Amino acid sequence: MLDLLDDTTADDNRVKAVRVADLEREEATLRSVARFIRAMWVAVAMLLLFNSGALVTVVNGFGVGPVQDAAVALTATWNEQMEKNGLATPVATIRAFVERLRGAGWSELREGTVELRGAYGEAKG
Amino acid sequence: MGQNWALAGMLFPTLEFGIFFLIVFTVGWGLRTAPTSRKYFLVAASYVFYGWWDWRFTGLLFATTVINYLGGLALGKAERVGLRKFIVGVTVAVDLGVLAFFKYYGFFLTSLDELLTTLGLHRDLPFMEIILPIGISFFTFQGISYVVDVYRGHIAAEKSLLDVMLFKSFFPQLVAGPIVRAADFIPQLHAPARLTREHIAVGTVLILTGLAKKMVIANYLATELVDPVFFDPTAVGALDLLTGAYGYAVQIYCDFSGYSDIAIGVAALLGYRFRENFDQPYRASSLQDFWRRWHISLSSWLRDYLYIPLGGSRGGGAKTYRNLFLTMFLGGVWHGAAWTFVIWGAFHGAMLGVERFIRAKLDELAPPQADEETPFLSRLGNFAQHAVGVVWTFHVVCFAWIFFRADSFGSAQDYLKGLADWTGSHDHVTPFLMGLVALGMLFQFTPRNMGRELALAIRVLPSPLLGLLLGAGILAIWAAAPEGVAPFIYFQF
Repeated sequence: MLDLLDDTTADDNRVKAVRVADLEREEATLRSVARFIRAMWVAVAMLLLFNSGALVTVVNGFGVGPVQDAAVALTATWNEQMEKNGLATPVATIRAFVERLRGAGWSELREGTVELRGAYGEAKG
Repeated sequence: MGQNWALAGMLFPTLEFGIFFLIVFTVGWGLRTAPTSRKYFLVAASYVFYGWWDWRFTGLLFATTVINYLGGLALGKAERVGLRKFIVGVTVAVDLGVLAFFKYYGFFLTSLDELLTTLGLHRDLPFMEIILPIGISFFTFQGISYVVDVYRGHIAAEKSLLDVMLFKSFFPQLVAGPIVRAADFIPQLHAPARLTREHIAVGTVLILTGLAKKMVIANYLATELVDPVFFDPTAVGALDLLTGAYGYAVQIYCDFSGYSDIAIGVAALLGYRFRENFDQPYRASSLQDFWRRWHISLSSWLRDYLYIPLGGSRGGGAKTYRNLFLTMFLGGVWHGAAWTFVIWGAFHGAMLGVERFIRAKLDELAPPQADEETPFLSRLGNFAQHAVGVVWTFHVVCFAWIFFRADSFGSAQDYLKGLADWTGSHDHVTPFLMGLVALGMLFQFTPRNMGRELALAIRVLPSPLLGLLLGAGILAIWAAAPEGVAPFIYFQF
């Protein structure tokens, strides 16, 4: 009888442990979901601020209508403001850098390598 | 290739998909305490995702799902071996019949028409304009694997139609894989959905690397090197053609593995685990090794549901070679209704046979020794052999890619002829494009656990920093990528 009681207590403990683990998992999931939702909104805000040009392109692809026209006007104004405040600069800088790489020939690459070697030599003293 | 593709849908690297995912993530996790509602929601979202291409094909997806579900249920109840064989045979035949109609009808009639005309027996054949439903090859194979696994007793027949619908239509893998196995996915639907810091870290790393591979490397290589070179191989020099073949090898890897990375990452963020689909395939030292690393979900599918049922390597030499050849040949046909894919598959099948034969002969001449017993010089020899194997395998694969990418068999022939003529110009061999090819190859030789290490580093970031990383990563990729969004190569299969 005592053995049976012990077994029952052990079972209760096991059930309790499983419940606690489930609760912990549930809490961890809740925290993780909230964490990633916050992260996504930060990412969305960054894209709205620094990539407003892409928003204009997307909105221009919508059909014609009063709501669409309002959206086009709103994104265009937003984009102008971002450009005026210099927030479009990072994207433009990356684009310009990639364009330079795309346009570079083998002679520019050689010159660039020579320049780099020179700079490295100077830095080394 | 004589097919019409429905390709104006929701691509991963677009604003539409970004908004779609934001909604699915938020609502999907909001429903976590009501698992059935969550599944209904995910199925609805997956059908919306699929219908974005062409809503008419959602009916086809649903109909084939119901057939697989009923086939599974019938198998679950049937006990007689003969009846079970009949049920699995009928279900697989319906699946393959649907696939054959949409994918091969036009090809079959065109080839028959050409043959009859050649023989002077021209007839008016019932040609039809058939639009290929996107992802049909992938969801058909998933459906077949479900029914065959139930037949083999690897999994129990699923009683919930909802679970089978979600298994077959789950949007991250629906249109271009990875081909998920029911035994891997359906048990995940029976457990409560969980999201951990690990899921988030792995998902973020995979989505960012997948986007970078696809949008920057694959898209630039496609538009500036591969497409122009393959468009008219007679108009460019041998060096351009050689670089074009290397470029395509890197492009298709970055395109398809990029897609798989994003799919696996998106699934992870929704709390589901998919298996790896690529494992640095161009570091393979043999073709057999290559097929263990390339499109793993397809090659393991072909192994389990075609090669082994054909007899695998159990029937001795000749039968093994036949089975290898047939498996790869049909793998080629699976990719598309064109002779170029048939040749690609047949070439891989033949080369796998040759490789197996040579290895068997070499092993007879010099039996392999355990590493600890081999002297230094012998180990050096093994390393050199491995390095030669990597280079050789890569070039065999590149050779086969020429057929895979060429618009026609004639175009592939022109390409190969052009490789022998080194007098032409080489306008497409620029430092930028060569750099991209080198970068793509670099992915093959980085430490295998690099992704895991990155994920471990991200795991501890607080949400604002994680958001900054995600936003900055997407922004940098967007800024560096060429204008426009090209569809993924594997959407056409």
